[in-house]
Amino acid sequence: MLRRTFVKAIGVGAAGAAGGRLLDEGRVIGPWTRSFAEVIAAEPRALLLHNNENPLGPGEQALAAIRETLAARGVPAARYTSLVPDLEDALAAHHRCSPDNVLVGCGSTQILRTAALSYTSRSRPLVAGSPAYEECGEAARLAGASVRAVRGTRTLHHDLDAMAAAAAADNAGLIYFDNPSNPAATLHPAGAVTEFIGRVLSTCRDAHLIVDEAYHDYVTDPGHQTQIPLALANPRVIVARTFSKAFGMAGLRVGYAIAQKDTVEKMREWQYSSGTNVLGLSAALATLPDRARIEQEARRNADARQFTIEWFRRAGLPSADSQANFIFVDIRRPAAVFRDGCARHGIRVGRDFPPFEKTHARISIGTIDEMKRAVQVFGRVLGVRAAG
Amino acid sequence: MALQLAARGHEAWSAELQAGAAGARRQSAADRSLALRLNSNENPLGPSPAARAAIEQAFAHAGRYPMNAAPSADDFRALVAREHRIDVSAIALGAGSGEILESAVLAFTSPARALVSALPTFEAPARTAKQRGVPVRDVLVDAAGKLDLDGMVAAAAGAGLVFICNPNNPTATVHSAGAISDAVARIRRASPDTVILIDEAYHDYVIDSSYASAIPLVRGNANVLVSRTLSKLHGMAGLRLGYVIGQPDTVGRLAAWTMPFNGNVLALAAACASLKDAQQIVRERRRNIEALKFATDLFRGMGFATTESQANFMWVDLQRSAKDFRDACEQQGVLVGRLFAPFDKTHCRISIGTIDEMRRAAGVFRSVLGGIRDPGPGIRN
Repeated sequence: MLRRTFVKAIGVGAAGAAGGRLLDEGRVIGPWTRSFAEVIAAEPRALLLHNNENPLGPGEQALAAIRETLAARGVPAARYTSLVPDLEDALAAHHRCSPDNVLVGCGSTQILRTAALSYTSRSRPLVAGSPAYEECGEAARLAGASVRAVRGTRTLHHDLDAMAAAAAADNAGLIYFDNPSNPAATLHPAGAVTEFIGRVLSTCRDAHLIVDEAYHDYVTDPGHQTQIPLALANPRVIVARTFSKAFGMAGLRVGYAIAQKDTVEKMREWQYSSGTNVLGLSAALATLPDRARIEQEARRNADARQFTIEWFRRAGLPSADSQANFIFVDIRRPAAVFRDGCARHGIRVGRDFPPFEKTHARISIGTIDEMKRAVQVFGRVLGVRAAG
Repeated sequence: MALQLAARGHEAWSAELQAGAAGARRQSAADRSLALRLNSNENPLGPSPAARAAIEQAFAHAGRYPMNAAPSADDFRALVAREHRIDVSAIALGAGSGEILESAVLAFTSPARALVSALPTFEAPARTAKQRGVPVRDVLVDAAGKLDLDGMVAAAAGAGLVFICNPNNPTATVHSAGAISDAVARIRRASPDTVILIDEAYHDYVIDSSYASAIPLVRGNANVLVSRTLSKLHGMAGLRLGYVIGQPDTVGRLAAWTMPFNGNVLALAAACASLKDAQQIVRERRRNIEALKFATDLFRGMGFATTESQANFMWVDLQRSAKDFRDACEQQGVLVGRLFAPFDKTHCRISIGTIDEMRRAAGVFRSVLGGIRDPGPGIRN
């Protein structure tokens, strides 16, 4: 049903989109080619495995909340002032902190931008892993800051020792730490994270550290812990979260930061204050308490992820451990070649992630049925076959 | 900034910042819903039926980023491009036009490159500039409440950005197409590198036939940008979508400062449906004109002057403190516009609701203006 609607509607929009420039994950990546729009229009079962979305979306509770908000007294959709309960209050109750510890944004991308604008400058660079999600780096460059990208380890984990050393040597203003990481999907367990953050805080005078936990809900490794308690205890630590992933609301644009009150206030000075929409806020409010749904989504993802990893392993193409809703596979050829090949079969997979664009592809995990179809295409495009 | 604000829009941001000392944020959502809101220049009916239906349809894509949904962000840009007969590369989106205004300040001004703004006008650009240490050259409106374009041209030399709100918020006055195009030409001659941002948030409500959009000026002027919003005539202030039109390089410099994925999937769908619905503009203009006439007659009948409003709000010379008026109205459940210095001792901005809302508000306005100097228990409800 979802797919059918999608294809029908994009068929209308495709001609208009042709020749435009597409902002893909924060970057202008060149013309939105007519060919791909045509592929989607022509392929009734096109698969979007390129942006780490939840293929099931936000669910019925969110839809009910959106309908209710559209019909509510005071006409919330028409109002600048939010006429739905404050999400800050709900998040505070959820994370057992004060509303003063919560900063809501237009997706966690806005939170990452705000942190970079708040804490980096010409004299205070950003330190991040490489590869890592790029948004903080781009905002830091806008702020005139340099970006020190620290190459990860052979297992595609962030090199925490090297990151801490770089942060100290370069007088970093902000350290960006995505855990699980994107695109590698690897995780650092709580002990290593605590040690890393402790070292950064003690060796880097007044640097801040933002832990991006966008994929937190997808982690299955029991060694994982959120850093929210540390963010509440230390004014130099910020945790970013999003409703775009396990909550399935990438299109509704709601994310947030948890930090100490003074830190939230400092970031608020740098944040466009009007980025969130009342329908997204009400959907987030309605679904936040439903832990069972998130756990079910994590299980669904873990099963489809396991299936996909196993297929690649049997095809002789091992991927790094994944603790997220995507995998990063060593396909031993340029990602662009694989991407174009998949696109011809109506499947989109992830963009280039330098310095791994010659060898690795990021593939988002769809439903198990979608992945069963996708591996057929992967096998054809890569010229491999799963053994056994 | 010690306050936590429930507000999302700049309109409400400013209003609630002023009310913040009274604890605006702690007011519950239910309480906020009860007031008659004539304070933020909103379309009281909200999104049109077609837009609401489009939101339902688009829910199937709520899990997708805006470039993957249908309609996508690019589909909306393509629609806007067709409407204005320009290329899609000339359009960037904002989460409301507020994001466009703020991004323009960040992109084009600096401590060495001032912002030229008006007094009073929409405050978002000047506020952003002041937060970032950018000097602001405020040019007072003329006696008729119109932007002093000569004064703004004179102030533009060496500036990074000139902000022209046309129609002007809060004075509700408009400049003709000729006056705007003349001001643009003079600014370009005197200060070729200065960017001119013309905010047409209230474009669709204008009645004055000498007015026309400045979008055609974009073609020959690399430094002209025009911003629009879906928050006003299209009734989507809570959905957060606006856009800017200009030459691709200039738009690109501004867009670098906007958030990725800033237009949410439901707003994009609602906006596409509303723009395609030719009746929306007809219906909403008619509604506004009728209610505006009622409210204008009311105040003029009581002896208070108003400007000839070209928007969905009116600027009234109450000859008394706007704050006193505002507080007294709020006591009776009617919210009116925030304070606009230096006119806060005399003028108030009142947004136009439905005709029924304006009739209800009329009773409150009469009682408040009759007894504002001695607010007795009857007025306090």
